[in-house]
Amino acid sequence: MRSLLRFFTDLEGTRERAAKVLSMNRRNLHFVYTRNDRKDFPIADDKLLAKEVLVPAGVRMPETYRVYSYFYELNDLEKDLGAYHDFVIKPAQGSGGNGIIVIVGRKGPDWLGISGKVYTAFDLQKHITDIIYGVYSHDLGDKAVIESRIVQHPVMAELSPLGLADVRVIMCDDEPVMSMTRIPTRQSEGKANLHQGALGVAIDIATGMTTNGRFLGQPIDKHPDSGIPLVGRTMPYWPEIIALARKAARAVPLKYLGVDISIAPDGPLLLEINVRPGLEIQNVNDRGMLPKLQEITQHGAAR
Amino acid sequence: MADTKNDNKRRSAYLLVLGIMVLLPMSVAGYKLYVLDYPLAGLIPAPSYNVEVSMQVDGHGEDINLHTYLPRSDSRQTVDNEQNNSGVFTAEIKTEQLNREASWTAENVRGPQSVLYAYSVRARHVRFNIPEDLAIPESYPAALAGYLIAEPGIQKDDPEINAALRSIVTAEKPTILEAVTRIHRHLQDNIANRNFSGYTDALTALKLGEASCNGKSRLFVAMARKLNLPARLVGGLVMQAGSKRTSHQWVEVYINGHWVPFDTINDHFAEIPANFLTLYYGDQVLFKHTANVNFQYFFKVSKQLVAQPDTQSALSQSMLNVTNFYAFFERVGISQNLLTILLMLPLGALVTVVFRNVIGLETFGTFLPALIASAARDTGLLWGMVGFLSIILVSAVVRRALDWMQLLHSPKMAIMLTTVVIVMMAITVGGVHMGLFELAHMTLFPIAILAITAERVALMESEQGGMKVAKITFMTLIVIAACYAVMESLFMQSLILAFPELLLAVVAINLWLGKWIGIRVMEFLRFRRLILDAAK
Repeated sequence: MRSLLRFFTDLEGTRERAAKVLSMNRRNLHFVYTRNDRKDFPIADDKLLAKEVLVPAGVRMPETYRVYSYFYELNDLEKDLGAYHDFVIKPAQGSGGNGIIVIVGRKGPDWLGISGKVYTAFDLQKHITDIIYGVYSHDLGDKAVIESRIVQHPVMAELSPLGLADVRVIMCDDEPVMSMTRIPTRQSEGKANLHQGALGVAIDIATGMTTNGRFLGQPIDKHPDSGIPLVGRTMPYWPEIIALARKAARAVPLKYLGVDISIAPDGPLLLEINVRPGLEIQNVNDRGMLPKLQEITQHGAAR
Repeated sequence: MADTKNDNKRRSAYLLVLGIMVLLPMSVAGYKLYVLDYPLAGLIPAPSYNVEVSMQVDGHGEDINLHTYLPRSDSRQTVDNEQNNSGVFTAEIKTEQLNREASWTAENVRGPQSVLYAYSVRARHVRFNIPEDLAIPESYPAALAGYLIAEPGIQKDDPEINAALRSIVTAEKPTILEAVTRIHRHLQDNIANRNFSGYTDALTALKLGEASCNGKSRLFVAMARKLNLPARLVGGLVMQAGSKRTSHQWVEVYINGHWVPFDTINDHFAEIPANFLTLYYGDQVLFKHTANVNFQYFFKVSKQLVAQPDTQSALSQSMLNVTNFYAFFERVGISQNLLTILLMLPLGALVTVVFRNVIGLETFGTFLPALIASAARDTGLLWGMVGFLSIILVSAVVRRALDWMQLLHSPKMAIMLTTVVIVMMAITVGGVHMGLFELAHMTLFPIAILAITAERVALMESEQGGMKVAKITFMTLIVIAACYAVMESLFMQSLILAFPELLLAVVAINLWLGKWIGIRVMEFLRFRRLILDAAK
C-alpha cells in the first residue's frame, strides 16, 4: 500500500526505475525478434539440432545414446535401453522441463525413476510414443532423445536435493547479462521451472556468488524444503560456466538467448539454449536488466 | 554499417505505411462528408423489425396450396435476411407487376404442418406536402387507367356514394388538397372505427357509418376515383413487437407524380409511419389456401436497433462515389448481418491486442475472443460465455478420462472434438425443448470456433496444467466481454458501416501498437518491487 502511494507521490522516480525493467514488448521487439533470425529459432527449439551445431564447436553437452523418431523403432526398446544403467528420456522439442523422465537404475525387469517411481517397458514405450506424437511439443510430431544422466556437483546436490538444478545465463551479443540458478522444489515436482514452483537464486556474474532467492513470487533466503541457506554461496566452476555460455553463444547465429547449464563434478555441461528466455530473472535478481543490455549493445555499436 | 542502412530503410517504410494508413481513411471519410454530403444522421442507429409469418394447416392426405404476399424493398422500406423454413412444402416466389407473391405447395399432406417465413425490415417515416393550388388533372397516362375504374368492392359509380361525396366535397372544382383533406377528415371523423376483421365493401362502409380499415380504405379509393384521382389500396402490417393476426390496409392517391399515403383509421394524412410495412398493392386477399385444412396464421414481430448502411447506399447514385461497395455484396445476397460481423472482426482483434500487449492478459489465441464474441451475437453475451465455458469444461473432463485410458494423442483429440460437437448439438436441442431459443442459435459457426478452442485447451492443459488453463480461461472471458461490448456497440457498427475505410485506421493503431515497448499493466504489478521500491 505504501509502495502504491509512492507511485503517485514519486512519478519521476517511478518512471526512472521502470525504465530499468526489460518489458515483454521490448524484449520481443528489440531483442528476441530483431537480434535473432526466425530461421535460426529451430536451433534453440530442437535439442538435437542444438547438439549438431554446438558439440562440433567444442561445447560440452550430455551424450546422446539414442534417438527415436518412428514407432517401429520401439520394438526392441527393452534390449536397446538395457545397455545403459541410467539415462534421461527427453522430447527433442519440449519446453519447461515437461516430458522428461530420469532413470537411475533397474528394479527387476523394470526401471527405477529418480523419484522412486517404477516404470515398466510398456510405460517407457508409451511415454516415447507420446513424445513422438508431439504431446510435449507445439509442433505435430517430435523425436525422443535418450541421453546420459548428469550427476550434480556436490555443492549443487546440497543446494538442490530434489532434482537437477540448472544455471540460466542470459546472453546478448555474446556477453552475459544476468544469471540465476533454478532449483527444483517439492512444489515444482522436481522441475527447474520457476512458473511451476521452482526456486530461483540470483548469481552475481562477476563473482559467481549467490545474492537473492525467490520462491513463488516472494523473497526467500533458505531452501523451502531443506532449509539450507541459499545466499552468499559461490558456484563451483563459475569462470568455466561463463566461458561455456560465451562459447555456446558464439557458436550459434542467435544474438539474444538464454543458456541453460548444469554443473557435474568434472565441470559444466550445456543442457539447452532458449531463444525466448523469461523475464522473471529480473525479480530473482531484484534488479532490472535493461541498463546492462543497453551497455552491451551500445558498446557493440561503438565497436 | 549495412545493418544501420537496412534499419533506416525499415523505419522509413514503417513511417510511410503508417502515414498512409492514417491519412487515407481520413481523406476518404472527409471526401464523403464534404464532397458527397454524407448525412451524419446515418450514424444514428435505426429500428429494425424481425417479422416472422407463421402458417399452420392440418392435412388429411390432400394436396395443399398456400399463398401470400411478401414485402419488396423500395425507396421507403428495406427487406433482407429472408429465411424460408417450410418443412414439407415447396416454396415458389415470383414478382407479378407490383407484388411479390409466394406460394407453398405440398402433396398428400397428413397431420399438422407449418410454414415459417422470416425477414427483417427497416423502413422510414415519410410525409408529403401537397401543394395548395394543385388542380385535379383532366387526364392521365394510360398506365394509370386501372386506378380510376370501379371494382367489385370499390363501387365508385354507385349513386349513394356519389351523393355522399357531393356533400363532403362541395366545391364545383376542388383542388387536390381540398378534395383529399375533406375525404380524409370525413372518413376519419364521421365513420367510426370498427375492429372487425371481415370484408367490407365501400358501399357497406358508407351505409353502416362504421368500418374497419378495409371498408374505410375502399370507400376512400371509390371517392377519390370518382373525383378523377387515381387511387389504390395498400395491404400491409403495422409492426409492433409481439404476435398478431391482424394485417392493415390503407390508401395511396396519385398526386403530382407521387403515390401519397392516407390512413383514416390512425389519422395519417399524406404520411406513413416508420413501422408500416407494405406487403401488396390492390384489392387483394393476404392469405389464400386450400379449403378445409384448418388454416391458421400469425405474425411475430420483434424490434431492435441496428446500424443503418442504407445511408451509404443512398450515396451510390452519385457519380463521384467510388466508396460504396455494399451494392456488390447485396447483389450476391450476402446479408447485412454477415457483413457487420466481418467488418467488426478487426475491431475485436484490436481490442484483444490491447488486452494482450498493453494490459497483459493472456488469452487463447489472438482472434479467438473476437470470434467467440461474434458467435455470441446470436446467443447473447451470457449464453455465449456459458457455451465457451461448457466447451472448456467438457474438453477438460473428457481429456482426463481419455488420459486415464492411455490413448494416443491424435485419436484422443478426435474423440474430444466429437464430444464437443455432440454437446453443442445437445445444448441446441435442449434449448429448443425448453423454449430457450437463444441457446438454439449455437449453430455451426460457434461449433467450428469452439472445436478449435477445445484442442488449444487440451494442449495447454497437458503442457502447463489445469491452474494455468483456468487462469487463461478467466482472462479470455474478460477479453470476450470487452470484444462483445465493442463489436456489438451500435455506435461502432454505425461508424464502421458508414466509414468502412476506418479499418485502415485500425491497421494504423496496430502498426503503432506493434512498436509499443512500454511496460504492460500486468508487468507493472509483476515487477512492482523493482519499480516502486525507492531503494533501487
